[in-house]
Amino acid sequence: MTTLLPSPTTLAALAKIGLLVGGLMTAAAYLVLLERWIAAWVQDRRGPNRVGIPLTKIRLFGLGQPLADGLKIILKEDFTPQHVDKVLYTAAPLVILAASLAIFAAIPFGSVLPPLNIPGLPDPVPFLVAPGLDVGVLWVFALSSIAVYGVLLGGWASNSKYSFLGGLRSSAQLLAYEIPLGLGLLGVVLAAGSLKLDAIMNAQAESGIWYVFAQPLGFLVFMVASFAEAARLPFDLPEAEQELVGGYHTEYSGIRLLLFLVAEFLHMITAAFLIVILFLGGWHLWGVTGSGQEVTWLGAALRCGVLSAKILAVIVFFMLVRWSWPRFRFDQLMNLAWKVMLPLGIANLVVVATVEEFRPQLLASLGAGWAQGAALAAPWAVFFIGWIGAGLLTPSGTDNRPILTRSPLDAEHGLLTNTSRDWEKAVR
Amino acid sequence: MDAILPVLLFVAIAAAVSVGLVTVSGLIGPRRSGAVKAMPYESGMDPLHDTRRRFDVRFHLVAITFLVFDVELLFLYPWAVASRSPAGVDAAVAGGIVASRGLVFAGAMVFLSLVVVGFAYDWRKGVFRWR
Repeated sequence: MTTLLPSPTTLAALAKIGLLVGGLMTAAAYLVLLERWIAAWVQDRRGPNRVGIPLTKIRLFGLGQPLADGLKIILKEDFTPQHVDKVLYTAAPLVILAASLAIFAAIPFGSVLPPLNIPGLPDPVPFLVAPGLDVGVLWVFALSSIAVYGVLLGGWASNSKYSFLGGLRSSAQLLAYEIPLGLGLLGVVLAAGSLKLDAIMNAQAESGIWYVFAQPLGFLVFMVASFAEAARLPFDLPEAEQELVGGYHTEYSGIRLLLFLVAEFLHMITAAFLIVILFLGGWHLWGVTGSGQEVTWLGAALRCGVLSAKILAVIVFFMLVRWSWPRFRFDQLMNLAWKVMLPLGIANLVVVATVEEFRPQLLASLGAGWAQGAALAAPWAVFFIGWIGAGLLTPSGTDNRPILTRSPLDAEHGLLTNTSRDWEKAVR
Repeated sequence: MDAILPVLLFVAIAAAVSVGLVTVSGLIGPRRSGAVKAMPYESGMDPLHDTRRRFDVRFHLVAITFLVFDVELLFLYPWAVASRSPAGVDAAVAGGIVASRGLVFAGAMVFLSLVVVGFAYDWRKGVFRWR
């Protein structure tokens, strides 16, 4: 007899989705508060510390602030200006938020639960919405590319110059940094032999060597690229307030602006998750969490705690970087993506592939200890050579002189005068 | 189907959350409009001309270059997954589909060096020069 009730697997998936969506929306709201606290601390002033429980004098260090902000924005007018493309203007924030939430279908947020022995539910239950999805990493990348569409649609549909410029810059930046991101990831996939994020964490836990130690160059490239993908300073050109007001969301207000801002924080959380899972060992910590697939309830909780602590640490790092670095210029941004990060990413991929390919031969000829040492030394050597080489070969990164070029229309507009030609000579 | 069902559920719920938020706010928020409020925001200036004019061709170059390199990277994923997984290259060698591991590795490296040649050509041609 078939029942109308969904299967235990579906119910488990629903429970996990509810936990994730609720948790992520709350986390995004409270990370805004954390960011404002850190900003206040960096700038030596008091941050938001007054909003507590309404109608009482209890302040709770400002913990009521995100709730008050969210409620206020929901109560505000949902305004659509006249000059916009109405359909795309409405669709853009929906696309970007839905995509950046749905990314988490393939991202594990812990290890596994101890056996539950519920009929119809295969044990152990992993902390992952779609454990059967073999292409986890590709799902993450596909959906983060769809989020680019949200930005582009928003910028285009707004029909305002700030939005348009923001959308253009944003799409160029996100496209350019997706290649280093993919290259950094390829090394990890190669070493772990799987596209599933939980399998990648398990591989690191088993060997006890996190990929940040085995592939330092890949970590560097991936982290820089994920800063750019999350559009965080020093890569926040899509919405550089001093130049573009708000970038692609200049024309948005009320709840739709909130959707964009929440999606932005979700991107940062996703980036932190990926950095921790791919390179910082996920839930694994030496001597604390163990490394096998059998866990007790305490062990499962401990692994979730370790993962969350690492993610929070990476997010705090993101925020400290935001308040300590100036923004890049657009040409510096593009140079860094194409001329530094891409070659470094390819170098990392080649050295990781070579080490992984010849690991059995190394083991046979050198013995376990020396082979492991050699397999770690080669990537570190390439890391330092790449770092120093990139520093020596790119002096233009600090060259702030204006570069004058002749555009075909200059003569037409009478812009190509003698003085500017002389200046061009002098500058060269 | 079992593998993809939770994913579809998640997409549906994520879409429902975003649509629901906008709907709720649209229902309870006030509605006031005005000629100035409906204008594009240009820091208080009256907008000069249409936004959708010609823009810099360099953005186009970035898009094309991205397409080439991203697709080339996609070709590398199957090799990266198969290289060390039990059902991958080793199984293919044991089953006689591929002559040796070295051949696969050499093939991947030749492919990567072709990517590097293309990259060097682009660099030489000034595709990455952003000024």
